[in-house]
Amino acid sequence: MNLNAPKHPWNRLTVAVRTGVPDRDTAAPDGFAARIAALAMAPERKVASLCERFAFRALGAACALALLSVVANYSSLGSALAFADDDLVEDDPVAVLLDT
Amino acid sequence: MPDDDPPLDLVDCLARVRRHDQAAARELVEHLHPLVIRIVRSHLPRRVAEEDLSQEIFLKMFTRLAQYQGAVPFSHWVSRIAVTTCIDHLRAQKRRPEFRWADLSETEADVLDNIITNENDVPANDAMAAHELVHKLLNQLKPDDQMVIRMLDLQQKTIAEISALTGWNQSLIKVRAFRARRKLQKLFQELQKTERT
Repeated sequence: MNLNAPKHPWNRLTVAVRTGVPDRDTAAPDGFAARIAALAMAPERKVASLCERFAFRALGAACALALLSVVANYSSLGSALAFADDDLVEDDPVAVLLDT
Repeated sequence: MPDDDPPLDLVDCLARVRRHDQAAARELVEHLHPLVIRIVRSHLPRRVAEEDLSQEIFLKMFTRLAQYQGAVPFSHWVSRIAVTTCIDHLRAQKRRPEFRWADLSETEADVLDNIITNENDVPANDAMAAHELVHKLLNQLKPDDQMVIRMLDLQQKTIAEISALTGWNQSLIKVRAFRARRKLQKLFQELQKTERT
């Protein structure tokens, strides 16, 4: 049977839906309009909040301090590493055995 | 809304909304809610709450309000936003599950069995089951085709009205309707061949 035929199962189904399903309430639920209006009219945030600005400043300061401490201690850190190499050789039992 | 409320002066209301009057925005939402919720209910995608979808539509409406020039009635403009938002959600849906007798409720299967095996009309008390059945059958179609068939066969809109609501040209709508009907026809033929389990 062709779908355009009035007695086609599809057409009988759509007729039943059009005529038989009662209209549900279409009024906005309580608080819905107020919520939408508040969301729609909320002022756009053009600047970051105070907390966000402080967080970025704190991150910047922490990075600068870390960099500064590496630069300030670079020479002593380098020599400490050189000594550590010597210590390692001295403490190595195999190296001690080979040296003697 | 009570019947004794004065009718909304839309021009004045829109002007107040543009001046960020929250009370006017609330009045506008209450005024347009029946229109929007009817569209949402007719095209509601699976697993999407109607309130969430209508909220999205209203927020889009307020965001785009500056673009409304008054060339078409405001309700048509809002309807178009509602329809295109529904289409976007339908398109975002994952693959359509296969239509199987086993996925139907007892009443839905009875209704389908009756209309396939005889030429009687669906009894009035089975209208809700018919409604569910129609939506399950439509879910087998591509989102755009679903939209066209819902508007043509359930809402009985004309091709011109569908064109105005969706922005699709009339030839495209006819092609989509033809494709959708062919798919539905095939679906019914397969259902007639398969046994109800």
